[in-house]
Amino acid sequence: MRRSRSGMMFAGLAAMSLAAGCGEGHQETNGYLPPGVEVVVELDSATVARDAALEPGALATVVADTVVGFTGPGERPFEVARRSAGSEAGHSRRFGTITLQLVLRDQSPALTQYPCTSCHAGARVTMAAQREPDVHNDIQPVHPDTSGGVCATCHAPEDASLLVLLEDRRAPLDQSYRLCAQCHFRQADAWAGGGHGKRLDGWQGRRVVMACTDCHDPHHPAVEPRIPFRAPVIERIRSDDP
Amino acid sequence: MSENQAGDLPERGNDGDLLQKPVDRRHALGMLVAGAVAGAQALGACVPLNGETPEQREVRVLAWREYIKGNYRFMTEAERAETITRLEELARLKRHEDVTIQSTGAQPGVVFGYAFNISKCQGFRNCIEACINENNLDRRADTQYIRIFEMSEGEVNFDLGDATFQHEVPAEGHFYLGTQCFQCANPPCTSVCPVGATWQEPDGIVVIDYDWCIGCRYCMAACPYWARRFNWSAPDVPASEINPNQHYLGNRARKNGVVEKCTFCIHRTRQGQLPSCVEACPTGARVFGNLLDPDSEIRWVLENKQVFRLKEDLKTEPRFWYFTD
Repeated sequence: MRRSRSGMMFAGLAAMSLAAGCGEGHQETNGYLPPGVEVVVELDSATVARDAALEPGALATVVADTVVGFTGPGERPFEVARRSAGSEAGHSRRFGTITLQLVLRDQSPALTQYPCTSCHAGARVTMAAQREPDVHNDIQPVHPDTSGGVCATCHAPEDASLLVLLEDRRAPLDQSYRLCAQCHFRQADAWAGGGHGKRLDGWQGRRVVMACTDCHDPHHPAVEPRIPFRAPVIERIRSDDP
Repeated sequence: MSENQAGDLPERGNDGDLLQKPVDRRHALGMLVAGAVAGAQALGACVPLNGETPEQREVRVLAWREYIKGNYRFMTEAERAETITRLEELARLKRHEDVTIQSTGAQPGVVFGYAFNISKCQGFRNCIEACINENNLDRRADTQYIRIFEMSEGEVNFDLGDATFQHEVPAEGHFYLGTQCFQCANPPCTSVCPVGATWQEPDGIVVIDYDWCIGCRYCMAACPYWARRFNWSAPDVPASEINPNQHYLGNRARKNGVVEKCTFCIHRTRQGQLPSCVEACPTGARVFGNLLDPDSEIRWVLENKQVFRLKEDLKTEPRFWYFTD
């Protein structure tokens, strides 16, 4: 069962802030950790329990924002779920217990998804710098074509919480669909119409769908092959029975 | 012979009040049984009957009343409420399960439709897993409503597909086609039922009254899509895995010797939720919605994608379409 993980992640980051302050309280951490401080994030049991109780698709748990730039069937606006509505792909992958060397800053309240600015704040770590070996070494992008793409093709060098659109425009990281749709316009049309992607809340009422990066890891967009759930036991009565 | 036959028929006005009103065999039996049970209760108040505890007697009385009830389709609202109370009580007494059984009817202006994207499905069978848990399917016989057929590319005849694949998916050169009950608009399974135990609801869902089904399996023979399943024994579900959110026409406890099938998760979809298989699909291959709402996703798929149905030449008019990206 797919369950929300980002609630865990945010709590983890909050715990990070506290750990960073070495018990001096959250206010003290509204700046930066000295370089080289190791932060071990342990998820508290209450967060894990609450996270496990969340059922993706349950109406009460869906937090969503109105989609910008697309309308659904009948020109109706629709909503895109925040990551807390259930995804383990992309930036909302499960972290578990992690060890990071990083620069901390409070999360921007405007940003609802992965707070890149927690690490990529000020001049300490910028996208212009080389890939952080300890943090992003799992990212071996195959998409877009690595011959021409670099981090800054999609991520704004000045602010990691922004995405780069064509004509040097910017979009919040929440609105990954605006970036993806520039090339994958057929998929984006189908997504807005209902033929691609996944609806979360129910067939009736609010239409809340998942964003592109909820299913597709932007750096490895293909679905990974795996072993399926167990096969049925089918007794063939005639040779042509399926 | 003819005299005996005439003698078997009730003659109005001759044999007391019971026979003065038209009464069929089933109800006559019901009255006799109810009388017998009432008599047993009266006795039981004085002397323990066969060493029966009050709880055992309650189970027996409830089971008898269940046995003599009518077809759900023709019950009044009050009768439906009564049988649901009895079934919930029986579940509590016999199996120690705390279940809630709905009798939610069809929403007006709603006909359900389903679309399946054969470009998207990767054969992971998460839908099957979710269906088993949601619908309290028999774990011992491993009943599964959904089949996912592994098809060679270019093949659309699902008779030639393999539903028993067990290897890493997706396999090279194959696509995956899922089947379940298609809730046909012209269902052959309902018209062959000799007792009227299966019928189509106004929202298009074909349902079964498990307590009226006689287990003849004509409907299974009539279904061109192999969508129905027979209970050779009463479904065995561990108490800890029971889904307590149940519907009379859906996932409530079935009995030995009756037919069951997918109902588009009637207990969920009539409340506005998506079927469990749609919610579980990790690839977004499944689209569900109201065919009568022109702004629904299912209508968008039907209007904008190339769609087909299985065995369309049979004129069963399935409300289940396949489409590609």
